[in-house]
Amino acid sequence: MGDVMGGKKVHLQIFTPRGLKIEEKADMLVMRCIDGDMGVLPGHAAVSAALGDGILRIINNSRTEQKIAVFGGVAVVKDDLVRIMTTIAQRPGEIDLPRAEADRRQAELLLQERSEDVKIQSYQVMLRRALVRIEVSVYPQEDED
Amino acid sequence: MSSLHNIKHRINNVATTRKIMKAMDMVSAAKLHKARARLDGARPIFTEIKNVIDDLKYCEEVRDNVYVAQREVKNTAYIVITSDKGLCGSYNKNISEAVLAHMKGKNEKILVVGIKGSEFFRRRDKNVIRRITDISETQMYEGTGRMAERIRHMYLSGEVDEVYVAYTRFETTLKYAPCVEKILPISDDGEDSGIRYRGMKYEPDANTFINELIPLYLHMYFFAAHSESVACEHAARMVNMESADKNATEIIDDLTLMYNRKRQAVITQEINEIVSGANILK
Repeated sequence: MGDVMGGKKVHLQIFTPRGLKIEEKADMLVMRCIDGDMGVLPGHAAVSAALGDGILRIINNSRTEQKIAVFGGVAVVKDDLVRIMTTIAQRPGEIDLPRAEADRRQAELLLQERSEDVKIQSYQVMLRRALVRIEVSVYPQEDED
Repeated sequence: MSSLHNIKHRINNVATTRKIMKAMDMVSAAKLHKARARLDGARPIFTEIKNVIDDLKYCEEVRDNVYVAQREVKNTAYIVITSDKGLCGSYNKNISEAVLAHMKGKNEKILVVGIKGSEFFRRRDKNVIRRITDISETQMYEGTGRMAERIRHMYLSGEVDEVYVAYTRFETTLKYAPCVEKILPISDDGEDSGIRYRGMKYEPDANTFINELIPLYLHMYFFAAHSESVACEHAARMVNMESADKNATEIIDDLTLMYNRKRQAVITQEINEIVSGANILK
């Protein structure tokens, strides 16, 4: 894949309220938007997308990939530069796995009970985030099929 | 002798006060350092989001979006960020007066952060609908998030028709600028002079995008504005304490000089008395 692109890469910048947190070069990015995944290769058209809770995959040499947990925010793609503005972006090493597991169990328990819609929504968010964290943390890297 | 004693007493008083000022100066310097670190984190994400918002102003699709369209202004919300504590020169007065001048002829609803600003608007019988005081700096991030949600609901429910935020922008330790900025609606008000990029597409569509972006935008706006203001507050206090320290040193010097003159005068007088006493005995 890298040969086809002629060595061109996508430049990724992730901004959080603590500043420019992550800066990477990648052959391809796959990010979770609110209505599904979006892949970005070099030469992508200018687009702004709203992000959901999910995993951002940074793929290099079409073999290895890094995963980053990103919760909400927006992504702006322009001239092979991808800027992501989000409140939370975590690398696998930054995730507290026992806490994510605990969150997951608690959210699953709470969801079994009957409660108001607003609460159910917040438990669903909690569960979704816990699952994303667990996945990023347990499978930080994997080879593509 | 009593006057000599008085001067000595005053010198001691000023010296004690100077010690307190020195301590406050050091505390402010440490707090400023922290505040600047936070500000350096908050600025980039805020600038980036502001750029996205500026691009959106040119998007035809969102002209009628509730956050973009201008509506008839009945009530105006102001979020004014001041400090809880004084001793920081004209910091609170500058921002409060800038807001006061700005809200002339408007039907204001004020949300004020900080005791100083709250007192200022209460004395002038302004419509303060919420006071937020005694916020710990560690709570700032969550607090600004809650405030953003509150403002968003007020705006959506029609309680207010436009929203301004007033804060002090940190430029250097010696230079701060009070600003009053309009944050909602985000319609094009001709202030933006830069050439914007107009070919942007939005996923899934521009209206959904803007509805997702606005909560983050408001949160980051308040967070950045608050970070700016806190940095200014500590910088202002530090500078004030430094000059107070300088003044105290001058007072101590003057008093010491006066004390020495008086002391010498007393000694001279005593010698005179002894000499003239001895002369009489001759």
